[in-house]
Amino acid sequence: MRRPVLARRDRVLRGGQPLAFGVGLVVALVVGVFLLVGSGHDPLRVYARMFDASLGDPQAWSVTLNRAVPLGLAGLAVAVAGSMGLWNIGAEGQIMAGAIGAAWVARIGGGWPGPVLVTAMLAAAVVGGGLLALGPAIARARIGVNEIITTLMLNEVAIRLVQWLVHGRWKDPDSHNFPLAPMLPDNGRLPTLFERAHVGVVLAGIVIALFGLAVSRTAWGYELRVAGSSGATARYAGISLKRKVLTVMVLSGGVAGFAGGVELSGNADRITEGLSNGFGFAGIIVAALALMRPSGVAAVALFFGAVQIGGQSIQTMGVSSSVSTILQALILFGAIAAGVLGRYRIQMVAGDTVERPSTGAES
Amino acid sequence: MTEASLIGLLEATVSFGALLYLAALGEMITEKAGILNLGVEGMMAIGAVTGFVVALQTGNPWVALVAAIAAGALIGLLHGLFTVVLGAEQVVSGLSLTILGIGLAAYIGKGSVGQPAGAELVPVDWGPLSDIPWAGPVLFQQSPLVYMAVLAGLAAWFVLGRTRLGLAVRAAGESAPTADAAGHSVAGLRLGAVATGGALAGASGAYLTLSITPQWAEGVVAGRGWIAVALVIFGAWRPGRVALGALLFGLTLALKTRLQTFGVGFSPILLSMLPYLLTVGVLVAISIRSRNRPSPAPAALGIAYRREER
Amino acid sequence: MNPPPDDAPTATPPAVELSGIWKRFPGVVANAGANLTVRTGTVHAVLGENGAGKSTLMNVLSGVYRPDEGEVRIDGVVHHFRSPSDALAAGVGMVHQEFRLVPSFTVAENVVLGAAERIVRRQAVESAVGELAERFGLATEPDRPVWQLSMGERQRVEILKALWRDARILILDEPTAVLTPGEADELGRILRHMADDDRTVVFISHKLHEVTGFCDEATVLRGGETVAASLPVSETDSSALAGLMVGSSPVISERPPPVVAGGPKLEVVGLGCLDDRGLQALHGVDLTVRAGEIVGIAGVAGNGQRELAQAIAGLRPTTAGTVHMDGMDLTAATPRQRFGAGLAYIPEDRMGVGLAPRLSVTDNAILRTYPTHRRGPFLDYEAAVAHCQDLVERFAVRTGPLDQPIAGLSGGNLQRLLVGRELSGRPRVVVAAQPTRGLDVQGVKAIQDLLVAERGAGVAILLISEDLDELLTLTDRLLVMHGGRVVAEFDPELAVRHEIGEAMVGHVPTSSASA
Repeated sequence: MRRPVLARRDRVLRGGQPLAFGVGLVVALVVGVFLLVGSGHDPLRVYARMFDASLGDPQAWSVTLNRAVPLGLAGLAVAVAGSMGLWNIGAEGQIMAGAIGAAWVARIGGGWPGPVLVTAMLAAAVVGGGLLALGPAIARARIGVNEIITTLMLNEVAIRLVQWLVHGRWKDPDSHNFPLAPMLPDNGRLPTLFERAHVGVVLAGIVIALFGLAVSRTAWGYELRVAGSSGATARYAGISLKRKVLTVMVLSGGVAGFAGGVELSGNADRITEGLSNGFGFAGIIVAALALMRPSGVAAVALFFGAVQIGGQSIQTMGVSSSVSTILQALILFGAIAAGVLGRYRIQMVAGDTVERPSTGAES
Repeated sequence: MTEASLIGLLEATVSFGALLYLAALGEMITEKAGILNLGVEGMMAIGAVTGFVVALQTGNPWVALVAAIAAGALIGLLHGLFTVVLGAEQVVSGLSLTILGIGLAAYIGKGSVGQPAGAELVPVDWGPLSDIPWAGPVLFQQSPLVYMAVLAGLAAWFVLGRTRLGLAVRAAGESAPTADAAGHSVAGLRLGAVATGGALAGASGAYLTLSITPQWAEGVVAGRGWIAVALVIFGAWRPGRVALGALLFGLTLALKTRLQTFGVGFSPILLSMLPYLLTVGVLVAISIRSRNRPSPAPAALGIAYRREER
Repeated sequence: MNPPPDDAPTATPPAVELSGIWKRFPGVVANAGANLTVRTGTVHAVLGENGAGKSTLMNVLSGVYRPDEGEVRIDGVVHHFRSPSDALAAGVGMVHQEFRLVPSFTVAENVVLGAAERIVRRQAVESAVGELAERFGLATEPDRPVWQLSMGERQRVEILKALWRDARILILDEPTAVLTPGEADELGRILRHMADDDRTVVFISHKLHEVTGFCDEATVLRGGETVAASLPVSETDSSALAGLMVGSSPVISERPPPVVAGGPKLEVVGLGCLDDRGLQALHGVDLTVRAGEIVGIAGVAGNGQRELAQAIAGLRPTTAGTVHMDGMDLTAATPRQRFGAGLAYIPEDRMGVGLAPRLSVTDNAILRTYPTHRRGPFLDYEAAVAHCQDLVERFAVRTGPLDQPIAGLSGGNLQRLLVGRELSGRPRVVVAAQPTRGLDVQGVKAIQDLLVAERGAGVAILLISEDLDELLTLTDRLLVMHGGRVVAEFDPELAVRHEIGEAMVGHVPTSSASA
């Protein structure tokens, strides 16, 4: 009796990933129709509103771009680690750590000229994120501790660190019942680019482009990709795996920290425990959809930003914002499934085993 | 510090401990079979909202519980579909399910925010047992789900350690090709495990909205799903140790709101970091110890199994 | 030993009878009408070189493969196995070379996995397994976790697995490859014990002393066919056996034109190293390769050749001895340093060590030389692409666009790329491990021509191969490795095949000069 199995394709479908993405999108929109109808809304009006609010006019674009910034930077952080086969699940916490660093500099540098303060803040953000990733990096490089769990755990630690600071020593004396950190001074904010978009958009674009360049065109990036392909090949090529793991993880944390600094300085008024807002986890999704390539991260992040902003906008129509969350997850699932089918095909197999001559010592 | 407040603390410890244990047990079973499920937080949310909404509709807490368990199992199967059948990355699938679960729960629960509970799972009346000083209130005035958690733990210990099925599940998580060669269906075992994990997570979520705080609000799970994931590692994938860890982490949860009453100046927020930091410490210790012996983690955890690529 | 009955009527059918087994795979015929007859209660060896079809035949017998043609009879009854479970049901159990054990489980748990009662009572199972082990003289502790066990002990667990499922016919695939000599003797005793218990043992081996030591009969396979069936071991000359294995046909092939060899380029003295399991793989290997010379290493896989190549290339730490190239001491040098000094290495493991499957052709082309393409922090990709282009042309690699992952290339082209890359650095010494394995006729010729050309240019080449014909054709001197040592040296033009075969199985001819 023949049964279907998934067998690896010899040649990956070209343009497979964008196609998978498209399929996922269509599937998600269709399911979304049911969800909306089920809650008594007109899907077409809702989708139209989502589009308008996110991509309809320059103001919409500006808001969407703002949202794409932390998504893209977090995605980049995960993608950089991912190109080497490392999972950075700690972007959520590293964003917070970055925001802490930036906020701390803002507190002590209140009198500095704007550009100086902002630069210092962003630098501190990078350091903050990198520091949080340092522990898991060392643990992985030297002892082989699985970085998935260590980075995951530190997320919660970082978020609580912000909570602790905001409720404690960073509490704004003017906020009475509800503990809040004081607002950022004006000279600590990123200037506006256009409409509502802040300069962080440009910064993010530059950083993503730089990393894309580094991964694909520098010797360092080459070594990264070799190490990601196989540890044995890396040794054969003379690459020190331990050092690479360490630097890549810390760098990844630094990029996520940068995202936190930019988000604080560009988009938020003050540091809060909700600053990371799920960007860290969304970044993992973004990176996965971009196949861990920096070059794809920007496009995917933009798309997710549009979906999120669109999703927020329809709340005024009485539609739950969770619809956009669900849509994002559905797109992802559709893309995962389609992506798998792009690399594997369904093959009918008879019997229990697929017969292949044994490789190696063929007897 | 009074006797009453101490009793209250212990009671809360057991209560939170059971909450964590249910979800952690489910995750442990899933990981024992080789699947990493980072969607626990989402599954708990789904369980919580399902329990609450069904309780509102039917007024019957048991029906609500069953519905929550079924919902959790369903989400678990979805994770299984992606990871076992399609072989997609377990990390990505799990995280997406957390995002989906939380979003879906918010969507479903939209109309129920602030509503009074339709039904509750009231503490079980053990009769005279609950009058025993200390042990009475702490152990014998708990929600039925606490006792379910204990039973589930015993059942898991028995099945995993003493039955053919448990042997097969563990084999699937340690060495899928070996389990396959021995004639077991790796896919079937893993799907079953992940569905069980989802069911338990759903039960844990329902415990929240049917017993602990019988109301619905977005974000009711509040990161306790992640604690459950941590707990599995902390307990080195053993039901007994996970239970002990659950009590420990439950204590930190219970202390969070009670530190003031005990006159301790230590910030409850810093205290709540403890489970995560402890877990990292334990993981490092396990890894160092594992240099010369196999790690207690299931060897095939996180790796998709495709027979043809053996 | 159970001698064959002289004229007793064959009342009992043979335990195993394989007749006319054909098995084809894309591009290769593994079994071409092979036959095997094994009498019940005997220990039967299946001999043959690599590629002779032994493993395939055993896979057919154990239900892993289904034959294209031919018949499988167990105890006289025809069977059509669709899976290993079917074979097990008929009483055929196989012990593979690569154990299928769960390291963290105990012996008992491993034995009963897949064949347990619904409730597994630890005590009961452990004592049952212990009893079974004792019955067959397989000393073991049922409650010990497998990861603590030695190779020999693990193998016993594998055997126990088959016995637990009541296998009456046990197949072992090169069982002593992973054992120490002492463990191998122990195994021999166990197998005899089983045969005396009226069970049947079939095992694949290359080691003559094992065959003569504890087998009743032997069948020899060559080229997918049975060249000698059920030879009673006690009445057969071991040289004859070896000869049957390697064939006695004269070597008809064009040898490369003679080249005057220069001075020694590669000198290995007393080299020792461990294998992946921590056992000693090399026991003091000495060899020298001169400029313009191809020195071949023949031997059955698993006798240290792989580790030797890795050690010389710098990928495996050595425990003793030295490696010198052109007088330079490379013993402590890294692989990159060795490459820089002029030592090229063609690894056995094409994909996964030599080449990175997910990277592009260009990326793979510069794997060893990329530091030279650095311009500051950047890699000069134009130069890299040009270099790659050059490689592809010079070595006739058929490939798609150079920026595509190499996974799509055929084996032959992958190897051309790999070899070309190694040779492009103008090496002085080339260590080639199984360079033509798995290639089609053209691919083999292409690689061989490349090596011969290098030889003509004065390069010293160490060629490790499982293909004896290749070695006899290409090499100037032929060494044989067995058990981690160089045990014999032959002149390929004068060598007698079966003498080489004997050396390969450890039967060292006393007349031959040793290296």
